[in-house]
Parts: sequence; C-alpha cells; structure tokens
Amino acid sequence: MKQYLATFFSHFGAIRFQKLCTQLHLMARLAPVPRSLSSSCGTCVLFEAEALSQDDVSKLITPELEQLVLEENGYHTLYQAEE
Amino acid sequence: MKNERAIIITTGVIVGLIASMLVYFGNPANMGYCIACFLRDTAGGLGLHNAKAVQYIRPEIIGLILGALGAAYAHGEFAPKGGSSPLTRFFLGFFAMIGCLMFLGCPFRMLLRIAGGDLNAWAGLVGFAGGIYAGIFFLNRGYSLKRTYKMTIAEGSLLPAAALALLALLITAPAFIHFTKAGGGPGAKHAAVAVSLVAGLAVGALAQRTRFCMIAGIRDFILFRETKMLYGFVAVTVAALLCNLGLTAATGTSFFKLGFVGQPIAHTDALWNALGLFLAGFACVLLGGCPMRQLILAGEGNSDSAIAILGFVAGAAFAHNFGLASSGAGPTANGQIAVVTGIIVVAMIAYLNTYKK
Repeated sequence: MKQYLATFFSHFGAIRFQKLCTQLHLMARLAPVPRSLSSSCGTCVLFEAEALSQDDVSKLITPELEQLVLEENGYHTLYQAEE
Repeated sequence: MKNERAIIITTGVIVGLIASMLVYFGNPANMGYCIACFLRDTAGGLGLHNAKAVQYIRPEIIGLILGALGAAYAHGEFAPKGGSSPLTRFFLGFFAMIGCLMFLGCPFRMLLRIAGGDLNAWAGLVGFAGGIYAGIFFLNRGYSLKRTYKMTIAEGSLLPAAALALLALLITAPAFIHFTKAGGGPGAKHAAVAVSLVAGLAVGALAQRTRFCMIAGIRDFILFRETKMLYGFVAVTVAALLCNLGLTAATGTSFFKLGFVGQPIAHTDALWNALGLFLAGFACVLLGGCPMRQLILAGEGNSDSAIAILGFVAGAAFAHNFGLASSGAGPTANGQIAVVTGIIVVAMIAYLNTYKK
C-alpha cells in the first residue's frame, strides 16, 4: 500500500473527497496540511491505496482538489490544479 | 511529527518571551504584541481616526510583514495569490476588528493579558473558543469563499511595499503623521523603533516558518484532535507569564497583577469581553486565520489577506470615529450595537457562503 495526500481549496472539499474515498473503499482521514508540503494552512486528506494509475487519479479529481501527491521519500505530484 | 511539535512549542516560547520583553522595553502593559491595537494605532498615526491616545505607526506590524516576506523568499515560498471573495474578506476583517476593540485586544493579546494576570481575558477566551466553534459549524457544512488564483509579483508585493512606506513615514515623521504625545495614552508607550522592528521581523519569520496562528490551535483541535498548535498557544502564555514574573522580581516593577479590577487597558464586563472575541473568533475562522496570520500570509504575497488587513484598519478607524471601541471604563452602547450587528453580518456571510452558492 502507498500513502497519498490530497489538498483542497476549501475544508468542505476535503470532507467530500474523504466520502469519495470511502465509496471507493480507500482508508482516508482528514488532517491539517503538513508544513513540509505547504506554507498555507488548510485541510488535507491522507489515504492509502495500491499504486494509482493515471486512470485512477482521474477518478479522484474533483473541482475542489488542489493537489494530489504520493508520499514516498518526499512528495511526488500526481495532479496539480491549474493556477 | 514530534519534531514539528517541538519546533512549534519552541516558537511559542520565543514569541512569548519577546512579547513580555517588549513591555519591559516600553510597550503598553500586557501589549508586547496586539495586532488589533497596533493596526488601530497605525490607522491613528495615518490620521484615519482622531483618538489622540492611540496614534503611532507600530514597527512590529511592519516587521511581521517584512519578516514573513524574507522567510518566504528565502525558502521559495513567496507565492502571490488571491481572488477569493476579496470584498467578503474585507468585511470579515472589519467586523473582526470591531470584536477585538470591544475586548481590547486581538487573540494574541488575549494570551498576553492572561499571562499578565488579567482574569477578564479568560471570559474573552471562552467567547473566542465559542466563535471558533461557530465558524467550524459552517466549515463542516460547506462554507467556502471559493478558490484562490495565482497573482502577479506586483500584486503580491504591494502590501510589503506599503509596509516599507510606513517605515519611511515612521522614521521621517513628517508633520501630517500623528503620534500620541508623551503621557497621552497607550500610543505614546512603545519600545525603541529598532527594538520593535527587530522583534517584529523575528516573530514574522518564525510565524512564517511554523504557520503560527492563534485560531489554528483551537480550530485544529476541534476539527482533527490535532494538538501541535494548541501547545504553541499554551507555550506563548506560559513563557510570557514566567518572563513577567521574572521581570517583576528583577526590576521591582509589577509586570504581573492577578485580578479583574484595574487591569491595564482592559474592562471588567465579562459578557462583552466574551462577545467581542466571539465575533473576532467567528470572523477569523471564516478568514482562515487570526489577525497575525493575515499579516504573515500577506508577507507571503497573499492579496486576500492584504484585503482582510485593510478591513481591520477600516474597522479600527470606524471603531474610534464612532465610539465603538471600549475603554478601561467598559464597553460603549455604540460598541455593543456594533458587535451584535457584526455577529449577525458574519453569520449571514457564513450562511450565504455555505448554503446559497
């Protein structure tokens, strides 16, 4: 299993994403965004999953999703919303 | 994780010590830092209100913004962004300031008043926690001011540039700038410019590195049972308390006075102390951080936070032009009406940005 981390434009976006993860049978929890990832505060979702394919990632993209990263010896960006 | 907690506690201790020492160096009692009071003094210095007792361009404000800017630049985190409901943020900032000036202090000063033995500040803490609960009620139901967007370097640099302009005005002191005359009130009590500026720069840099925030301690505990920032919150208070006691013992002057009555720049009306910080806590959760955090984010180039700061300044000017701010004698009727109005307006903002999008 690998550890993933998603950040959002709003707290409620994180709550909705956590529900989406539950529907997809992924273990997910809410937490403050780690300082090592961002200087902005906010809520992130930490979840575990097998290695996500590009297809899997696209299923997880919601309008509220800011960033999706794989946490493995640092952060590896899988998705970044348009700035 | 434990390392991050240790860093935040250490930051809290340093911030608490600096705050206490600033009073030793000349700042008003229990006011080593007060973002609300200092923005109010700065507004007065610029002539935006005429309360002659509270007019001074506070170097701590300038230092906080520039310290955060420097730390953000040094770590590649200066990232101009904005565009998330700016006018709403202005009014949230405006009413947060009305609440702070009812209590006579921002959440930071609330901790410093507790550390100085002012028991009235505990009523403020109860109200503050209640306001954070109210904000979280809406956060959990969908409250959002919509996303931010990347902005230009010019946009993100405007507030730090304004801070530099304020520094120039402070140092050159042209005739059109207003400073409270010696003995004329809290505005006349201040540490030397260089001391205040360095203290601001240091805390600004530390707060940028740690995301130190007076709202986050209680908010994150309620939302996630996350205690890191809460430990920082306690560390500021304990460090300032111990330093106050040490200064009292070392100098023979009282930096700590336990009780309700006769506390410096404070009143004893528990209900309005609580309601003032209820309003401030509620509005600041909806803004995403306490007044100090808005200064730090503005230093990182966040123009939404810069707008919130302009809202604080406008709120401070209104508070003194229309008799809304409390004094040692207690709250004013105008202030009570303004705080109730503020709670209604902030609740409407929360509702409309939660259910009516």
